[in-house]
Amino acid sequence: MIAVFKRELRSYFNSPIGYVCVAALTALYGLFYFMVMAGGSSSFISRYVYGSMFSFSMLVIPIITMKSLTDDQKNKTDQILLTAPVGVTAIVIGKFLASLFVFFLASTIGLLPAVAMSFFSSPSWGEILGNYIGTLLYGGAMISIGVFISSLTISQIIAAIGTFAVSVFLMYIDSLASSINNGLVATVVGWISFSSRYSIFTQGLFSVSSAVFFLSVMAIFVFLTARRIESRRWS
Amino acid sequence: MVEVRNLTKRYGANLAVDHVSFTIEEGSIVGFLGPNGAGKSTTMNIITGYLSATEGSVTVSGKNTLDDPNEVKKLIGYLPEQPPLYLDMTVKEYLNFVYELKKASQPRQQHLEEICKLVKIDNVYNRLVGNLSKGYKQRVGIAQALIGNPPVLILDEPTVGLDPKQIIEIRTLIKNLGRNHTVILSSHILPEVQAVCERIIVINNGKLVADGATDTLAHDLSHDHRLILRAEGPEREILHAIEAMEKVVDVYSMGEKEPGAFDFSVESDMDVDVRRDLFALMARNGWPVLGLKNTDLTLEDLFLQLTSTDAGTHAGDGKGEQ
Repeated sequence: MIAVFKRELRSYFNSPIGYVCVAALTALYGLFYFMVMAGGSSSFISRYVYGSMFSFSMLVIPIITMKSLTDDQKNKTDQILLTAPVGVTAIVIGKFLASLFVFFLASTIGLLPAVAMSFFSSPSWGEILGNYIGTLLYGGAMISIGVFISSLTISQIIAAIGTFAVSVFLMYIDSLASSINNGLVATVVGWISFSSRYSIFTQGLFSVSSAVFFLSVMAIFVFLTARRIESRRWS
Repeated sequence: MVEVRNLTKRYGANLAVDHVSFTIEEGSIVGFLGPNGAGKSTTMNIITGYLSATEGSVTVSGKNTLDDPNEVKKLIGYLPEQPPLYLDMTVKEYLNFVYELKKASQPRQQHLEEICKLVKIDNVYNRLVGNLSKGYKQRVGIAQALIGNPPVLILDEPTVGLDPKQIIEIRTLIKNLGRNHTVILSSHILPEVQAVCERIIVINNGKLVADGATDTLAHDLSHDHRLILRAEGPEREILHAIEAMEKVVDVYSMGEKEPGAFDFSVESDMDVDVRRDLFALMARNGWPVLGLKNTDLTLEDLFLQLTSTDAGTHAGDGKGEQ
C-alpha cells in the first residue's frame, strides 16, 4: 500500500498534472482573495474565497483521479500490481490516498491567504476551517468516486468527464429533491446530496453525521473499486 | 513445484484454455509452445494470479492460488508479454518500487545491484524507463521478475523484440537462472525453446497437445520412419533396387540435388532399421552414398503437425535440403 502510494504520488509530480492542479487551485484562491480584498473587507474572505472551494474542487478532482486506474489498464502495469503479494484493496487505498494527498496539498496551500490576512486582521477561522475540513471531506468522497470511475474505463478523458458529470449531478441533486412529490424518494435524494452535507461545514460547524457520511462514501467506493478490479480477473 | 490441474478459462462462449493439466518439477526449465492466441499467456496469467480460472486449480509449492493467493504470488516472478513498466520512473525508482511492492527481505542495495549486473542494466540505472530501447525495457522487465528472488520464474516471450546478440544473452541468462529456479518460458520461436528448455509443453487452441522432454518429444511423436538417402548414380535403377528391398514400405525420388546425385526418401516398417542393408546395396552396385540421415521430426515439423488442422502428412519434407 505504501509502495503504491509513494509511486502514485511521485507520478503526479513527475508529470505536470500534480503541479498544474495545485497551481490552478492556488491561483484561483489567490484571485478570489485579491478580488475580495480589492472590493470589500476581510470579513468576506471566508464566505467568498473559501466558499468557492467546493466548486473549485469539482473542477480539479476529475483531473486528479482520471489517470488513477486507467493508465494501469492501458499500459498493462496492473499486471505487476495484481501479481505482487498485495491485496487489491491495499492497491486501491494506496492510489486513493495519493490522489487525496494531491488534493490535500492544493487545499492546504489555499489557506495561505488567510494566514497572511491573520497578521493584519482577524479572519473568521471557524468558517475558514469549516470550509477547509468540509472541502477535504467532500474532496475525499469525490476522489473515491473518481477513482472508481477510472477503474471502469481505459480512457482518461472518459474518466475525467464521467467524474465531472457525477460531481455536478451530486451538487444539484437537492434541487431535484425539492421537485419530487413522493416524500420518501425526496428524502432519500436529499439525503445523498453532497452540497447540503457540505454547506453545514461552511457555517463553521462540524457535523459528525456529515463527516461520517463522506467517510462512508469513501469506504464504499474504495471497496467498489477493489471489487471492480477483482471482477476483471473473472471476466 | 508447480501443479496445474484441469485448468479452464472461458471468455463468454470462447474457451481460451481447455482442461490443461501438467506438473513442473523443481529446478527445471519448461518451454510453453504454441501459436499466437493458443492460450499460453492466459495460462501464465492464471498461474501468476493475474486472471482467475473458470475451472481447475493451480498449486505452487503445495500452496493453492485460491487459498493463499499472496503466498503463491511471493513464490513467483513474472514477466508478462508486455513488460509492466512505469515509463515515468527511472530504472532505479522502478526497481525500488517493485522491491517495496513485493515486500522483499533481501538487503535492498545489494540485491538490486546484483540483479542489475545479472541482466546488464547497471549502465542505465539512472535513466528514465520510457527512454530506454526495447531491449533494455525487456531486461528491466526481467530484473523486476527477479526481485525478491522467487523460486519460480514465469517469462512470457522474454526475447521478443531483441536483437540477435541480446537474444543469445537473454537465453544464456535464462539457462543460468534455471540452475536454481524453476523456469516456465513461453515462446513461439522454436529454436529458442529447443536451445533453452529441457521440457516442452505444446498448447494449441487452449488444449495441451504434447508434453515431453525436448530431445525425445520429436522422436516419440513422429509416426513415419523415413530416411533421406543421397546417392550418386542412375536415378531409376537406384529406385528400383531400393524398392526391391524387403523391409522398405515406400520409396520415391526427391530429384537431383547435386550433379549426378539424387535424394531418395526411404520409408521402412516402424521398428526396422534399414540403414545397413541400404549401405550394402549401394556398395554392391557401386553407387557412392553421399548422405544418409534420419528424418525424426524437427521441432518445426512437430509444431506444424501438432498445431495445423491437416495433421502433417508431409511433415519432414524439405528436410533433404541441407
